[in-house]
Amino acid sequence: MSRMVGQIAVKAVLYVLMTAASIVMAFPLFWMISTSLKSLQEANAPKIIWIPTQLLLDAYRQVLADPRFLRSYLNSTFYAALALAGTLLSIAAVAYAFSRIRWPGRNLVFFLMLSTMMIPAQALIVPQYVFFHRLGWIGSFNPLIVPGYFAGGAAMIFLLRQAMAQIPIEMDESAFVDGASHLQIWWYLVLPSVKAPLATVATFLFVGFWNNLLGPLIYTQSSDLYTLPVFVAQLYNINNPTQPWPTIMAAAVLTTVPLVIVFFFAQRFILESVVITGLKG
Amino acid sequence: MTENPYLYTLLTVAATVAFIVVASFGLGFLARGVARLAGFSRLRQSSTFAGYFFAAPWIVGFVIFVVVPMAASLYWSFTNYRIPEAPIWVGFRNYTRLLLEDREFRGSMVNTLFLTVIGLPLQISAALLLAVLLNQKQRGERVFRLAFYLPVILGFNAAVLLCWRLMLNAGTGIVNQIIRALSRFPPLGYLNRAVIYVVEIVNAFFLGINNGNFTLFNKVIASGFPAANRVPMWIQTPLWSKMAVILLMVWGCGTMMLIFLAGLNNVPRELQEAAEVDGAGPWKRFWRISFPLITPYIFYNLIVGMIAAIQIFEPIYVLYRDNATLAPSAYSLVYYLWRATFRFNEIGYGSAISWVVLVLILLITLIQFRLQNRWVQYELY
Repeated sequence: MSRMVGQIAVKAVLYVLMTAASIVMAFPLFWMISTSLKSLQEANAPKIIWIPTQLLLDAYRQVLADPRFLRSYLNSTFYAALALAGTLLSIAAVAYAFSRIRWPGRNLVFFLMLSTMMIPAQALIVPQYVFFHRLGWIGSFNPLIVPGYFAGGAAMIFLLRQAMAQIPIEMDESAFVDGASHLQIWWYLVLPSVKAPLATVATFLFVGFWNNLLGPLIYTQSSDLYTLPVFVAQLYNINNPTQPWPTIMAAAVLTTVPLVIVFFFAQRFILESVVITGLKG
Repeated sequence: MTENPYLYTLLTVAATVAFIVVASFGLGFLARGVARLAGFSRLRQSSTFAGYFFAAPWIVGFVIFVVVPMAASLYWSFTNYRIPEAPIWVGFRNYTRLLLEDREFRGSMVNTLFLTVIGLPLQISAALLLAVLLNQKQRGERVFRLAFYLPVILGFNAAVLLCWRLMLNAGTGIVNQIIRALSRFPPLGYLNRAVIYVVEIVNAFFLGINNGNFTLFNKVIASGFPAANRVPMWIQTPLWSKMAVILLMVWGCGTMMLIFLAGLNNVPRELQEAAEVDGAGPWKRFWRISFPLITPYIFYNLIVGMIAAIQIFEPIYVLYRDNATLAPSAYSLVYYLWRATFRFNEIGYGSAISWVVLVLILLITLIQFRLQNRWVQYELY
């Protein structure tokens, strides 16, 4: 009997701890939404106001009426969509080469690819900047998008390769007998059988593009091309006498919405793939 | 260049795709030609073609975006290249200036060291604690796991970081308001003051190393135990600027947590059960069985975490960008690289920083691999 009471107590403590941790983890999201619905006075009030007394939508109206915000939203969407399409497709092609085809030099190239994971992307920023400068690409989206088309992201190639390597090779062999080409096998047989890992990779890539701050900061230059992170970061300005927090938070909520949506659709794929491969997004 | 930036990019992307297709066929044919000369069978020739054809995007990209830039930046790091002007060879001047004279660079090294020594253990402990909680396999584990992982997705978006900026306001920010409310209970109040005391002493010490003088450190020691109404001065003083970054690191520990979860999953149930039969309590079971078996995962997180600490950029940009007095106390190496290079387009100097960062990361990894034998347990005993 006392053993059962003890078990229930342990369980209760466990749940209390996990709930508390979840609240801490999700709190910024809640606070962002709460602040975006407040008045300016409430947002800067010296006492805690969990939920505003009156839910005001003024901040959202203000943000959505700002052409610069809408422009940066368009820019971010354009950049993320275009970069995602090419990066995902090229990564899927390279992963196919590393998992389903035997070719001389494969192990060497694969080893090279894995070793590039050690090179921090930031160490290449400076020379790549010069390269894009000479191409005349500074002040355009090109430097943000084009490198991805060359299968940018060794970790993602590795994740997909691991998934593709698990499909029995007999599938390809019987297709060859029927006269299928590598391109057909890749597109019609292999890609459909790695949908979940593809979704994971797509999510990580999208999140990376959507959150990217350093790249757009260096390459976009003119405010017409600012992506959301650059634009939103500039809403907060230390030189303002008072910060328009409700407006800033309304912009922040609208920036975060796509991330949350993507996360909730893709979470069941992500959590498993990360555990399998131990890789970070 | 066309007027419309979107159309311009679409055209460039179309050209890129065409280039990649041509390069893929080119590389494929080239490889097949070599295979034919080497006398490979027909089948082998065609799979050589296919392999290089599919891998070509990465191979070509590797040459264009990694090999050539690295070689170029190695050369430029020995020149005084600054963008419109041509590079002139200056020997090791950039490196001596960087390592011997540049105080801001040394500062960013010390800051990174701080994040590694103080922040990383906190982050790893938080991740391990959360993983152990989840590993009890209670109902609803999925939902909790989701909540713990959420910050990884959101964490480095400027929008979410701005929300932290709001929450960490020293006066009216919600974090300090909650701390104030909780501090009314004496034990928590003392805890709060003790934490503030320790944090400020440690930070003052590191700032002392940074500045080469310890007046601030002595001042903090002299002022003694913090008064009862003190709260953390998150984004207000150099004593707390790095703590805000550490808070964000701990908040975003979800990836490390997933890796620990994988490790805990691999701990054989039989071992646990056998120990339980022998009368070992849960505490003892964790430290004697689970912990030694997950040391490889701790090791992995340690390497990845150290490298991540060097690369922290977004939090510092959003929190401290235009705060000239505070920012140097929080610079990470990569933030400094960005600032030093792109403020005056100093490509030569920036290349030298890149190479130092690169060598540093390789060294860390190497040392870690050397040391791991001492404490990482790869096998069951």
